[in-house]
Amino acid sequence: MPSLTTAPPPTRREPWRRSGPPSHRPNLFAVAIRGLRTRHWTFYLGAAILLLVLLVLLLTPWIAPYDPAAQDLSNRLAGPSTEHWLGTDHLGRDVLSRLMWGGRFSVTIAAITLVICAVVGTVLGAFAARRGGWVDEVLMRTVDVLVCFPDVLIALLLIALFGTSYGTLIAALTITGWTPFARLMRGLALEINAKEYVEAAEILGSPKWYILYRHVIPNAIRPVLAMSFLRFGHKLITVGALSYLGLGVQPPDSDWGAMLLEAQPYMETAAWLGIIPGVAIFITALSVTMIGQGLDVQKPRRKRATVTGARDASPVRLAPIEGEAQ
Amino acid sequence: MLKFLVRRTLVLVITLGIVSVLAFLIPYVGGGDPARKILQARVSDPSLTQAQVDALSKELGLDRPILDQYLHWLGNAVTGDFGYSYTSRVPVSTLVVPALSVSISLALAALVVALVIALPLGIAAATRRGGKIDNAATFASQTAVSAPEYWVGPVLVLIFAQYLGWLPSGGWSGAAYIVMPAIALALRPMGYFTQVSRAAMTEVLAAPYITAARSRGLSFPRTLVRHGLRNGILPVMTLFSFWFAGLLGGSVVIEVIFNIPGMGRLLYTSVINNDVPVIQGGLMWILTIAVVVTTITDLLYGVLNPAIRVTHA
Repeated sequence: MPSLTTAPPPTRREPWRRSGPPSHRPNLFAVAIRGLRTRHWTFYLGAAILLLVLLVLLLTPWIAPYDPAAQDLSNRLAGPSTEHWLGTDHLGRDVLSRLMWGGRFSVTIAAITLVICAVVGTVLGAFAARRGGWVDEVLMRTVDVLVCFPDVLIALLLIALFGTSYGTLIAALTITGWTPFARLMRGLALEINAKEYVEAAEILGSPKWYILYRHVIPNAIRPVLAMSFLRFGHKLITVGALSYLGLGVQPPDSDWGAMLLEAQPYMETAAWLGIIPGVAIFITALSVTMIGQGLDVQKPRRKRATVTGARDASPVRLAPIEGEAQ
Repeated sequence: MLKFLVRRTLVLVITLGIVSVLAFLIPYVGGGDPARKILQARVSDPSLTQAQVDALSKELGLDRPILDQYLHWLGNAVTGDFGYSYTSRVPVSTLVVPALSVSISLALAALVVALVIALPLGIAAATRRGGKIDNAATFASQTAVSAPEYWVGPVLVLIFAQYLGWLPSGGWSGAAYIVMPAIALALRPMGYFTQVSRAAMTEVLAAPYITAARSRGLSFPRTLVRHGLRNGILPVMTLFSFWFAGLLGGSVVIEVIFNIPGMGRLLYTSVINNDVPVIQGGLMWILTIAVVVTTITDLLYGVLNPAIRVTHA
């Protein structure tokens, strides 16, 4: 009968240490796009539109047909023609060129705001879930209250206090914008922290950063990414709303909302001026929404109807959290 | 349940307290002497003597300690007295209360339109996931969510007021005036309501008690009404309260476009004119209503769903 003491000591696997067997490092990029091939067709449509829009905006300095500020008063409010594809505005400026240059402002401001909101929100949400107790309570009650704050109104107030600038604009939209990310991340973190594999990792003595990197981030990255895309349209619309009220992007710069504002007096005589920039916002917002929902919702597999009359009821996560007030 | 009630009420009071401090501090943020700002707003003359500023400072009690001022302001605010508007020289409440009633009716009209369309659509989509109705509902909701209301509004005016002449293009003096702004405002909540009711119903329909009800021989529509709706409607209710609160001051753009004398436009103009008492009063009114409405929704949640009552108590 072999003695217990002669058994070889068990080899401990400590994957967070660089030495030892090849570690199972998550490829975050692969995790984020995993299952990209099984998406709903609207996901690809949205991605195609967004890529096209981004490409055009990126190449604007080289492909814009005219100087967006060049006036031609003899040719004002002209309809679409071969020279001016989308016509000219009340100062005879080329609408297509202005649309392309304006889009750079709209999309950039919305994107910067979104990234700040996403980072602040996820960090605070994860922190609230980790700490629990009064920290969690205070943060989540703050979120509850901020959800009731109409973001246009808060932006108005901050702009009134600190003047119009891109910094104020971005800060104003961030104050109310981080809350959906905090809610989402808190929920995800609570869910992930309760998993057996996290418990196992803790028992094995993995450091906190390792658990965060190996388990929490890979599990949270897709919902957070989906939420980011879903919120992008909202940001774009809000930035446009502030410019439409004359409080966002200031002349001589212009964005899609400011173009709509300028077009207001000419709605009857030159309706395209008030329609085209709106279509641009709409198309861009729709494309990111399609991408966001495509990332969030798995392609429904057809199953035969169950006794309940409902088909394939896999849970859908984001929608209830995402549908925040304006 | 009582503990839950007390807890929520406490949170409500603390929240409003913090908000009131922030609202009180508005004139002090951004630097500068508030008395000077008030005079500037009144006379729009940048060359003011220090004596004039000091006189007003004394008259309004702005030279007293700030805590003193806050308590005085809060005492008045609790009774609904936020002072006089700088620009129109009338009590703030005579401006805010009518504007609030306009905004409440507009918000309710928009949200009821949204709910009436979205709820059946969401439920239909949830019962046949991946089917034609589901795809149509998803696409419709994505479209609705992506449409900026400051674009939909003017386009609606162009079609229904300018070309067809069916509806008035702006103003607020009858039922016809509410139609276009309500529709323009309803689009985005409609999109969200559809998604949320679909998600909630999907979850509910997969629950064991639905299977149990169906196994007992209850017809599907009856199961839906008796067991599904009661649970499925809860998230929609929460979202409704969020949107209601948000639209009270958040319909700025639509109120400006349609020339509606609501809360959004009032706050917009007072922000432009730096009319601090109106901003403070308006914000406090809106946020009080918003926080009370969301708290009541939370409590209703507890009443409708006993599971929450137990876990929160």
